[in-house]
Amino acid sequence: MFNLEYVKTIGGGRKIRPYDMAFSADGKYYVLNHATGFGAGRFTVCNFDEDIIAELPDNAGDGTFAQPVAIAFDRDERMFVLDEAKHRVAILDKNADFLGEWGANGSGDGELDRPSALRFDRNDDCYVADQMNHRVQKFTKDGEYLLQWGSFGDGEGQFNMPWGLNLDSQGSVYVADWRNDRIQKFTPDGEFLAAFGESGGGDGQFDRPSCVVVDDEGYIYVGDWGNERVQVLDPDGGFVTKLHGQATLSVWASRFIDSNPDEKRTREASDLYPDLPAELRSPFHVSSQTEPHFFGITSLHIDDEDRLYVVDSRRQRFQIYQKRNSG
Amino acid sequence: MSDDIGLIAHLMRRAGFGASRGEIEAHAARGYEATVEWLLHPGEPGDFGEDLAKRRAIGFDEGGAAFELWMVRMIHSNNPLEEKMALFFHSLFPVIYMSQGRALLNQLDSFRRHAFGSFRDMLVALSSDPAMLLFLNNNDNHMDAMNENYGRELVELFSMGVGNYTEKDVKECARAFTGWTLGNADYMAVRAGKNSFDPYGSIAWHYQYRADDHDTGVKTFLGETGEFNGEDICDIIARQPASARFICTRLFQFFAADTVDEGGRHTIDEMVETYYSSGYEIRSVLRTLFNSDYFKSEQARYARVKGPVELVISAVRMTGASATPDAGSAGANGATGPMGQAVYRPPSVEGWHEGKEWIESGALMERVNFVAKLFRDPAKPGVRDIIDRIAGSNGGVYSPEETVDMCLDLVGPVRASEETRAHLVDFASVGGDVDLRGDDRDKSEARVGEILALITATPEFQFA
Repeated sequence: MFNLEYVKTIGGGRKIRPYDMAFSADGKYYVLNHATGFGAGRFTVCNFDEDIIAELPDNAGDGTFAQPVAIAFDRDERMFVLDEAKHRVAILDKNADFLGEWGANGSGDGELDRPSALRFDRNDDCYVADQMNHRVQKFTKDGEYLLQWGSFGDGEGQFNMPWGLNLDSQGSVYVADWRNDRIQKFTPDGEFLAAFGESGGGDGQFDRPSCVVVDDEGYIYVGDWGNERVQVLDPDGGFVTKLHGQATLSVWASRFIDSNPDEKRTREASDLYPDLPAELRSPFHVSSQTEPHFFGITSLHIDDEDRLYVVDSRRQRFQIYQKRNSG
Repeated sequence: MSDDIGLIAHLMRRAGFGASRGEIEAHAARGYEATVEWLLHPGEPGDFGEDLAKRRAIGFDEGGAAFELWMVRMIHSNNPLEEKMALFFHSLFPVIYMSQGRALLNQLDSFRRHAFGSFRDMLVALSSDPAMLLFLNNNDNHMDAMNENYGRELVELFSMGVGNYTEKDVKECARAFTGWTLGNADYMAVRAGKNSFDPYGSIAWHYQYRADDHDTGVKTFLGETGEFNGEDICDIIARQPASARFICTRLFQFFAADTVDEGGRHTIDEMVETYYSSGYEIRSVLRTLFNSDYFKSEQARYARVKGPVELVISAVRMTGASATPDAGSAGANGATGPMGQAVYRPPSVEGWHEGKEWIESGALMERVNFVAKLFRDPAKPGVRDIIDRIAGSNGGVYSPEETVDMCLDLVGPVRASEETRAHLVDFASVGGDVDLRGDDRDKSEARVGEILALITATPEFQFA
């Protein structure tokens, strides 16, 4: 039986403001922060034990990043950072030293308009969700344009402002088709295979999905952004389970609370799962008032140990769940 | 101008944020009273691109971004009177921004929900509004340690007014509202006091009634005695003649005229009568006002100074400067502050001093500059529409007088004095006739834009 067991939360205490993250080969987390300041650099390198290993500078080559939204490693462990507002990809080494960049604003082949996601395939080519061009484009890691698919619309293979994308172990591409409230699945060359979901808040329905990740067994995890939850679908798209979040205090958050006794005392007397008035029971309002819940999921990841990472951007943390198959 | 057009334009300036000529013509076709009913029965407000605002910025509803959202909604809502009422109640029950934009957006939602219902229900909603509770310290109003701040303002500023209650009534009112507080009140108050976003970002506020902190004893309030709770107090307040006159007068001054003359007093009397006959229903009171002879009279037109928010939103709406909700508020959010009305930054709990106080010299310059810049640009969709209407009506060549008259008509209609019109014609005469044909069209369109910009500087345009 499929089960996701809560493990821990990393974040809080103004240490990270995550939007996306990537795993290095030695098991470190490279967290891309959507904003800097309050103690957080552009990238925070940390690990499962919540050690802060490094704070890396905000180096986009020609200055700072404007609106970085995605980070991914190629096989050489170079960091590729996608900047939605600058419409381009910056390449950095693991110290955030600038190595190069590619991409330009436009709608022609290989041009980008507010790109929102970047992921590599096994050949080290990368796919980019080209948000305002309503398409997916594939590039070599040096930025050479390879192919594209999609146009504006709600038909098969069409998109309305796609956000996240990811690949499964077979190389199939899954796209969070944001304003169409669905996930679409394609072959590596962009041939339409399937679409999952429809608008709504029920099981198997989505409200503006932001991200998707697929495990080795083909289970599909969707960041159901507007519904403030993660939904899990089986490989055929059938509903399996959902999570709303159950964050606890991270090491960093605990340090903050311990050093602020007035907040600690009043927090301990509080109900972190409040019973809300009727007008505040939408997923957004519940998450805005319920600290343990997900609030603004922007990316999902699965590591080699079948752990699911939910980047909980508005709560400045990520939550970790362990997948277990039992019975 | 036909009277229908002028009357509908007047209604839309007051009960909305102005309207384009095309919208005015559509309303005129449906008729005045039907338009009033349309305004009084808001439907789906439309798409404000809130999902995209949320996607583009993690803090989309915090700080100034929260006010930007409201501005975008005022510009693009299908329900102009609903937004105007939200502005009315924000002015009447002002809260100063305190660390949480979300609480203020939730408060606006509450104002919208109750804008056309019973005034009694509005007072109950206000009394349980988290932003108001924290702003006026009712979270510190306990059974064994009373804080009368909210109780005092409820009777003094939010309903009856000074002279209609005693100090004893204030204390009894405050006792009735003990236990009306925020969920997790102490924690939220500590966080708000430090503007704390730790450990995991902002936690929005919600209302909670704590029976164990409510004073259940007998109270005497405005001559009535009982074991009153807050709802009972709102019942009693809503019944008071002083409350009826208060809310009707404030609605009259917001929608009809800054000052109340003899005709105005008669209209307010009719509104008060409706207030009681309808069970305190604000929709019915507004219907009486909008359908009154006073409101529809020539005397009522251009008798009210546009407030900064009204001025700015109406200019953005009329010019189409914010073509889509995704495009933001076209500078509206930052513009109203220098004119004296930054939303959620009222000078005090009394709100803004309205009327002619809006037009002191510095503010007037800001008002003119913002609006003129929009109307000067022929590329703005609303300005384009005005120019196309002018060009399409009579072959495309116009005398300065004709051009000025058509601009005055299409931008309002604005009823300019002879003196104002003469100045406008003098200005328009530089360069001779306006030729909206052929090679000189771009140049002539720019001249029309300049005339429109000058009209926005006239006293007549600054009034609604």
